[in-house]
Amino acid sequence: MIDTPLRQRPLFLLAALVLAQVLLLAFQIKRDHDVRLIRYWAAAIVMPFERGGTDAVSHTGGVWSDYISLRGTRAENARLRSELDQLRLRNRELEGQASEAQRLSTLLNFRDAHVEVQMLAAQVIGASADPASHTLFLNRGDRDHVRRNLAVITPDGIVGKIVEVFPTTSQVLLINDKDSGAGALLSETRTHGVVKGSGDPDPRLDYVVNDEPVHAGEMVLTSGEDRIFPKDLLIGTVMVANPGNPFQVIHVRPAARLDRLEDVLILLTPQELKKPNESADANGASSNSPGIVQRESAPPPITKSTAALPGPQPAASMPAAPKN
Amino acid sequence: MSYTLNSGLHSESNVEVHKYYGGTVLLTAFLALVLQAFLHKYGRWAELVDLPLLVTIYFGVSRRNPVTGMFLGAAIGILQDALSHDNPIGLFGIAKSIVGYLASTVGARIDTQHPVSRLLLIFLFFHLHQAIFAVTERVLLNHPEPFFTLRLLLNSVVTAAFGVVLFAALDRLRKS
Repeated sequence: MIDTPLRQRPLFLLAALVLAQVLLLAFQIKRDHDVRLIRYWAAAIVMPFERGGTDAVSHTGGVWSDYISLRGTRAENARLRSELDQLRLRNRELEGQASEAQRLSTLLNFRDAHVEVQMLAAQVIGASADPASHTLFLNRGDRDHVRRNLAVITPDGIVGKIVEVFPTTSQVLLINDKDSGAGALLSETRTHGVVKGSGDPDPRLDYVVNDEPVHAGEMVLTSGEDRIFPKDLLIGTVMVANPGNPFQVIHVRPAARLDRLEDVLILLTPQELKKPNESADANGASSNSPGIVQRESAPPPITKSTAALPGPQPAASMPAAPKN
Repeated sequence: MSYTLNSGLHSESNVEVHKYYGGTVLLTAFLALVLQAFLHKYGRWAELVDLPLLVTIYFGVSRRNPVTGMFLGAAIGILQDALSHDNPIGLFGIAKSIVGYLASTVGARIDTQHPVSRLLLIFLFFHLHQAIFAVTERVLLNHPEPFFTLRLLLNSVVTAAFGVVLFAALDRLRKS
């Protein structure tokens, strides 16, 4: 019981009486949305405490979750970073595998399109230590019946020839090596020449006289005269042709990407590759052979396609024999 | 009947507390409510006099007990609210509780027997009652009840004049 002074007791009673009637009114009066006034008041009185309590709990929880319970975050962060590094590594591995699968698929398609020619898929496992020497090492050797002077190609174009054979590996002399040479011809005029390495990334087409019209973008094909590379394989395209003495100076951009080779094909015989539709007839399937160029008739409009290939051509003496 | 006007305050120990016969207060209050409701049917002139307020003031200043005065005022006011058709219970109750309390307090300090002092008391308590009523209406009900109008002034004057006569009549119900 509240102990109030005797003189003030009636005043307290009056206050209580008025308050009781105010509450009585609040029970009866309805405000907006038909809500009783007492509910408004109750909400107005209680809600600030509710809100304050909620904010306090939220802030306390925030302090806990943002600061106090973060003790293990550093270790977790390190663990997650390590996991991320591993996943990145794994991702690179998978990307590499996917790329390799794509390359192998291309090789396989090419090989399937030319079953008449014995081919051996090989992987590039190394390169020459001499920057001036453009050679590669393959993972195929004598045990795989690899011999010297076999052509090495990709579906894009020729790569080079085998120059050394070891029991399980072999060495390839790329067509842009200064000691390399391959019988070649220009696709439009069928003018013969020799593609020789110059030590630069791009080889040159020699022995084309100044009177022959040569223009940039013209395709350079194998002539088959070197008895290494089958006829009409793509070597590259003419980059620039300038008059020289006594022959034109023609720079050729190799069709095969010699600086980033990973998988190649070794042609075990110098047999000319048949046209793809003949191979398809033989196999009951069709595929593309981008490295083989079609010649329909003479004088031939030559296009890079999967159409007919000519029959075997008699070998001719080369203007300049390639060095081995 | 002769009156003596006492203008000075006097101590509560010297205050004369008037006694009434049993049931007089309740019966008078009941009659005031019945008459107010009954006369209201016969025209707006009945609104000129607030009989329940007069009874609250009279017994407040006569009994001179603030607790009794406030409870009597609360009871009369709540009944008046109950008899009205749209007033929420408590509107008149709050106003008459405060008036009953103040009337008892004032009655214990100043002379309330003289007709002039009664006239002034009734006039002032009328407007105090109206002010409390208006505040309650505005705050709780959002109704724009006026604090003062000419009509209210007329009502207060008529009620005060009628109250002087009524108080003299009610004085006869005192125990001698």
